[in-house]
Amino acid sequence: MYVPFPLEIAAEDQALIDRYRQEPAPLLPILHAFYARDGHLSPDALRAIGKALGIPLADLYGTVTFYHHLSLEPGGRDRPRVCTGPVCCQRGAEAIRAHLDGALPMACAGRCDEPVPVLVADETFVAQAPGRLERRTSSPLPPPNPGGVEECVFAHIRRPERATLKGYRHTGGYQGLIRALTEMTPAQVVETVQASGLAGRGGAGFPTGLKWRFVAAETRGPKTIVCNADEGEPGCFKDRAILDHDPFAVIEGMTLAGYATGAERGIIYLRYEYPETYHRLAAALRVAEEAGLLGEDILGTGFDFRIYLRRGGGAYICGEETSLLNSLEGRHPFPRNRPPYPTTHGFENRPTVVNNVETLAAATHILARGADWYRGLGLGDRAGTKVISLSGDIQRPGNYEVPFGLPLRTLLYEWAGGPLPGRRIQAVTMAGLSGGFLAGDALDTVTLDEESVRSAGSMLGAGGIVVIDDSRDMVEMARQAMAFFAHESCGKCFPCRIGTQRLLERLEDPPPVGSVSRWEEEVRDIGRVMRTMSACGLGVAASFVTDSLLRHFPQQVQQTVAERIHGHRASATGGAHPEQEDPA
Amino acid sequence: MSAQESLAPNGREAVPTITIDGQTVAFTPGETIYEVARRIGAWIPTLCYDPRLEPFGGCRLCMVSVEGMAGPVASCTFQAADGMVVHTATAEMESLRRILLEMVASENPRIQVDPLRGYASQELADLLARYRVAPHQRLAGAHSGRSRLDDPNPFILRDYDLCISCYRCVRVCAEQEGDYAISVAHRGFRTQITVEFDGFLRDSACTFCGQCVQTCPTGALADRKALRFALEEKGARSA
Repeated sequence: MYVPFPLEIAAEDQALIDRYRQEPAPLLPILHAFYARDGHLSPDALRAIGKALGIPLADLYGTVTFYHHLSLEPGGRDRPRVCTGPVCCQRGAEAIRAHLDGALPMACAGRCDEPVPVLVADETFVAQAPGRLERRTSSPLPPPNPGGVEECVFAHIRRPERATLKGYRHTGGYQGLIRALTEMTPAQVVETVQASGLAGRGGAGFPTGLKWRFVAAETRGPKTIVCNADEGEPGCFKDRAILDHDPFAVIEGMTLAGYATGAERGIIYLRYEYPETYHRLAAALRVAEEAGLLGEDILGTGFDFRIYLRRGGGAYICGEETSLLNSLEGRHPFPRNRPPYPTTHGFENRPTVVNNVETLAAATHILARGADWYRGLGLGDRAGTKVISLSGDIQRPGNYEVPFGLPLRTLLYEWAGGPLPGRRIQAVTMAGLSGGFLAGDALDTVTLDEESVRSAGSMLGAGGIVVIDDSRDMVEMARQAMAFFAHESCGKCFPCRIGTQRLLERLEDPPPVGSVSRWEEEVRDIGRVMRTMSACGLGVAASFVTDSLLRHFPQQVQQTVAERIHGHRASATGGAHPEQEDPA
Repeated sequence: MSAQESLAPNGREAVPTITIDGQTVAFTPGETIYEVARRIGAWIPTLCYDPRLEPFGGCRLCMVSVEGMAGPVASCTFQAADGMVVHTATAEMESLRRILLEMVASENPRIQVDPLRGYASQELADLLARYRVAPHQRLAGAHSGRSRLDDPNPFILRDYDLCISCYRCVRVCAEQEGDYAISVAHRGFRTQITVEFDGFLRDSACTFCGQCVQTCPTGALADRKALRFALEEKGARSA
């Protein structure tokens, strides 16, 4: 007989489940609790969790397999994970992995400003070379602003003790919230954010004040403020720096959003690969609650707001806001169809604000210092600032907060010291990998704002820029980017699920195509379908990789592909002369 | 039904209308573009659609152009709106659909699917023929899905080599039967239809109702009894 669930749940299992089952979004913390205890997720654990939460076992099994880091194999949690993202591949990640017993590859772990990260259970190490591991418990501080330009989210981040509540309050922290709760109506808070011109800093760029206004206008509750800290874009590591060194700015920003919209709860969704950040955040939330700055009756004003911390399981798509919401709800993390949008149908189908870490931190500063001040930080008529994560073949990688409108060239050459000695920059990625490659004249003419970058055929997005110098093979760079998108494609929509795989195969050696012209035709056709028909931004972004590769490096591509096709043929025919190309 | 006929009797309240391929029709708020289009006899290709199920928006073949919108939208999930002007088969959309169908065909081995496999088993083959897609002429690459021919149950053949990950089986099992016996494991191109712990159907919540078999558009799930019967019949004839 088929018995889906155990008739009784063991007492120790029940205790793990009971710790979270009454909270919002209980599945992820319960999975992590069993995972930490057992070192893997056993069938018995899944049966107990499924029974307790009312999740069908097949669903739960399928959902767990979706998360890259959640292992069903005994010992799976403790196997080292070595970052094999595009920047780490430049730094010998494969050799480091080969040297570590039983190590698994992981997609970009968001530490591109440091040596290759290695995650062992809940501890982060970095490796300069095979076998040389150093523990890391925090992010590097952003390099001092070399332009002397006024900053917003980094304004106080280098002050000692900014990460403690005392230090935070000494440097102006919580002044915005105090003013909002005691002197302003929720509508005035929304108006201030709207007037500042702040827009989503996670990549989509939706006006933050408008989003808050939409949620404030909804009458259904409970409403939720979700902080999207699932920073998964390769080449992006800004949210980790903000959370490590200025956690209260993000907590205050969420509380402000809660007051402005009438939400009584917030959830931080933090990516799996930031365990030290998780502990820092958990501690900061505790301290804020003890100080009466979170929880019931905040600052004696009668406003209640509680924040829950949730850790992901390793899936880039969960940075997409509707996948994130499904993940929180314990569902399979496919993106949802939109409309409806999260502002009306978000977490548990209730009105929800989903904001990026940097966005929330900026909102805190805006409430403290005013909308006009923030607008004025941008150059020309552009409002505000953006944190750029800069990495790759550059003298001084790191997080830089730039005024919108700063020339890319100024950032690369004056702020970050330019290319490595004797090298030339041949391309940069934009929006992490999601904006594809920028090269040629654009490197000299583009300014760092969405309008300028888009007019050059790319996008600024979440603000990750990976520098690629002339020692790199662009086809190989594109292959690594596509390998990432193929690995992270969720499998919901056909164009992305099949397209990322087919493009990856075409960037490998040998390609499954008989001629260069046929190769180009197929790559363009697949890219066109992905760009136009994908259900979410992942498939669209993946097509930018090959589109921009063909646009900026046509000769490099043709030469490499021809060599691969002919090289393969030559060896297949015993070293005979390369055959003529097939007509396309 | 014309727009005229659906005016309220007092003539005051104008009903919302949508124009699809030049035909203006009234619709009920909440109807999707696809539902209205089907109601007036327009044909739009689909693979993940089953009228009994919640719209899923996975196959993207039903995407249509809407005037004033930046890009096409999935007609199965996008609701009709008053004054909307829709084109279901622009040259551009038809060209994209054809490439997408080539991509779908490329992920499976080329075999003739026996109609006895299931009610909807010819859907993909019919679409490929309609769009004149010669499978495996282009876009070659790895195949997806891994058949579970080792599953010993006598009713349902799990030939996932033919699967295109439309998840109609998973959704019909949950939404129509309420069994939740099957689900989606892994992700992307490695996606695999599964029961818990990658096991056999008999050890799962499956009731062998056969709904998944009948909604499968490729014959990846097949009716073993029908195939067995056909085999016996063929054997008897040749004897």
